[in-house]
Amino acid sequence: MARTEVYEVFARKAHDEELKHVGSVNATDDELAKAYAWTLYDEENWIEMCVVPRKAVIPITHQGRLPLWGN
Amino acid sequence: MGQLSEPEDGDTSMTSGTAKREFESTQGMSDACREGLRNLLIACADTKLLLGYHYGEWTFGPPELEAAIACCSLSQSELGHVRLLHAVLRNQFGDETEALVEQRLGSAFANISYLDEEIADWAGFVAANYVVDLAVTRLLHAMRDSTFAPLRVNVEKMLDEERYHVHHGQGWFRTLCGKNAECRAAAQRSLHEALQAVAQWFGPAGDPHDEALVAAGVKAKSNPEIFEDLVGDVTETAASLGVELTVEPAAFEGWDPATRRRDASGPNEEILQHLRGSKNAIFKLN
Repeated sequence: MARTEVYEVFARKAHDEELKHVGSVNATDDELAKAYAWTLYDEENWIEMCVVPRKAVIPITHQGRLPLWGN
Repeated sequence: MGQLSEPEDGDTSMTSGTAKREFESTQGMSDACREGLRNLLIACADTKLLLGYHYGEWTFGPPELEAAIACCSLSQSELGHVRLLHAVLRNQFGDETEALVEQRLGSAFANISYLDEEIADWAGFVAANYVVDLAVTRLLHAMRDSTFAPLRVNVEKMLDEERYHVHHGQGWFRTLCGKNAECRAAAQRSLHEALQAVAQWFGPAGDPHDEALVAAGVKAKSNPEIFEDLVGDVTETAASLGVELTVEPAAFEGWDPATRRRDASGPNEEILQHLRGSKNAIFKLN
């Protein structure tokens, strides 16, 4: 049975801009994540948008904490 | 996503071979071509109008909030496409939008008949989103290099937006097939029903209007060829999920090229009243 995953959504409006995190969607697969991201975050004329499964993101800091040596 | 990919080398589109005459308007077209083009534009606009209605209705009721937001967005884009197609019909054929939407009987509509009634459940919606929507998109895709410039300039925008409609429909079909036996059976049943309606809408091989459109380069492929491609896409996806899809040959005796049907059916009266805004007629500005 398909399970819902969280996908983080990144987008940019111009080629000289960096990709910015614009939000997240819940979806059962990559294809639905693309459709949801496009339809949910359609307030801007994005020239690029992509989704990343949250589970693929490797945390460097502990959740909600700065590294021991500060920022 | 193979469905909307760029034409491959060796594609029999009008970009290769003998250059065809470019049409800035319908002037110079044969009668069959002109009539076939008007019928086709009305059929696409009617189907998109009904898709817009059903997507809008399903803004409430999908199994996930994200899907509800997606339905709302899909509805907006379909209604936007209706405006584009109606503008071509008005400018090129003198068809006023009011006449097309508000003054036609239901039996004159040329939408894919799967959309005639309210869609009973989510599996039914997914079938509409996946194959009914894709049928019109594939038809538009066959006109992306059309010799009829007034349509060609609008096709790319529509195809661009339709990409996400396919992702949504196909993604949900996959999800339902992977959920459990009941959802899988419902998805299979609805998809089969939708495909049969789409087969009827595309029409018979050798339709004189369709042949005239292909000969003039307005379309790159005949309607039966487009339908065959669509069935190929959908059955391949279904097979990859272990779902067998069969499509019985459609009967075309008495098929009317204006309504793309064999009988006098059409969208039900309640849906038509919503489309026309009949209940709010007194508030209209003109």
